[in-house]
Amino acid sequence: MATEEKKKELLEKLRNAVIQYDEDTAKEASQEVLDVGMDANEAIFNGLVSGMEEVGRLFEAQEYFVPELLMCADALYAGLDILKPHVVQLDLGVKGSVVIGTVEGDVHDIGKNIVKMMFDVAGFNVYDLGRDVPLDKFVEEQVRTDSDLVCLSAMMTTTMTGMKKVIDNLRAKNPNVKIMIGGAPVSADIAEKWGADGYAKDANNALKDAINMISSLKKLKEEAEAKKRG
Amino acid sequence: MNRTLRKELLGSGAAVVGVAWVRGALAQEIAHLERAVSIGVDRNLNEDTVRLLLALQKKVVGMLKKEGYRYLCIPPDSDRIRNTFVSKLYPLITHKMAATSAGLGWIGKNGLLINPDFGPRLSLATVLTDAPLQVDTPIERSLCGDCALCMKFCPSDAITGEEWSRHEPFPELIQMDKCASHKKKIKALHGKPNCGLCITICPYGRKIHREDQEQSFVRTG
Repeated sequence: MATEEKKKELLEKLRNAVIQYDEDTAKEASQEVLDVGMDANEAIFNGLVSGMEEVGRLFEAQEYFVPELLMCADALYAGLDILKPHVVQLDLGVKGSVVIGTVEGDVHDIGKNIVKMMFDVAGFNVYDLGRDVPLDKFVEEQVRTDSDLVCLSAMMTTTMTGMKKVIDNLRAKNPNVKIMIGGAPVSADIAEKWGADGYAKDANNALKDAINMISSLKKLKEEAEAKKRG
Repeated sequence: MNRTLRKELLGSGAAVVGVAWVRGALAQEIAHLERAVSIGVDRNLNEDTVRLLLALQKKVVGMLKKEGYRYLCIPPDSDRIRNTFVSKLYPLITHKMAATSAGLGWIGKNGLLINPDFGPRLSLATVLTDAPLQVDTPIERSLCGDCALCMKFCPSDAITGEEWSRHEPFPELIQMDKCASHKKKIKALHGKPNCGLCITICPYGRKIHREDQEQSFVRTG
């Protein structure tokens, strides 16, 4: 087993590899984690994700721009690819599945991909429909996979209106599904007006909100089942 | 920094190096990167070309990172990489645009970068950066002149004979469907879609290769 000191060193190395967008070091450190028998889960959350949180902060502070953000995400995935097969159990209290995509007419999927990454990291089952997704496809896929959550993204004011249609159609089919929207033109106001359950300013918020939503959904289900039994 | 950069790259296998001023030409996500380092290596029908270009890019990145500058690498085979986050940004600049802006050559009738010394026989990689490197003079128009060898020899008649200039940067030089269907035919015959006659025939830079061959002949003989 690795000593506490070694663990700390490796976590720091993973974190810095992500912050410094250094794929090679991210891979190297992840391999070391496995070699010394450290917990992969811990390495992902206290190393890679901790680095990505700092990256989020740097991005907000406008010290990092889009290229840096993307290179950091690539470094995170380079490590994640090595560590993920060795994750024994990812437990955030909830597990869920999520359908995600950029709505029809919109090919901007950088933001969507980063949100997807956070779900991946957190151990969600992610059904990624990609970009420029026909509106009906979201509903079909939600029904097919019985997902708890649907995430819609749009980068343009012109394509954004497609999200409202998807929300209406989803609600008609399945009133309990949780819906989250995001993208540059979207705001909390719009989310509320259109009846979405959540609005994500960025990837970190998306994940936090998603976890809250799914746990509240699970609670609703449990209560309903308890009532039935009672 | 310019001089060390150039020296380092040319000493490590680059055939040509130039710096382009690309402000105003880039999308908002990368608009803060105002310069492009364009690196060309002699293609030489050698399979290690991509590997060499990647190694040269790494050298540039090492220097920029050490000095605290921002950068974005566009790898030589950028069109084939789709599975990374950063690959979303690759289509925002082309190697050829960076190269012509860096004074390395013009776009020939065959649609390829033509360098006065190496002709169309260069493979390219680009590094965008905000480092204040001294920029080279861009090339404004095609120097192909009346030469139309590539057009004449193209087995699929795909070359239209239009001329490129900086003011008219996207004329239809190549009828891509013709070129593609020809390569498909060759692939069915030989298993590989290699054609490249428009490269072989270009008189620019052919001399260098001939001298190389003569020299190696002398050496072995």
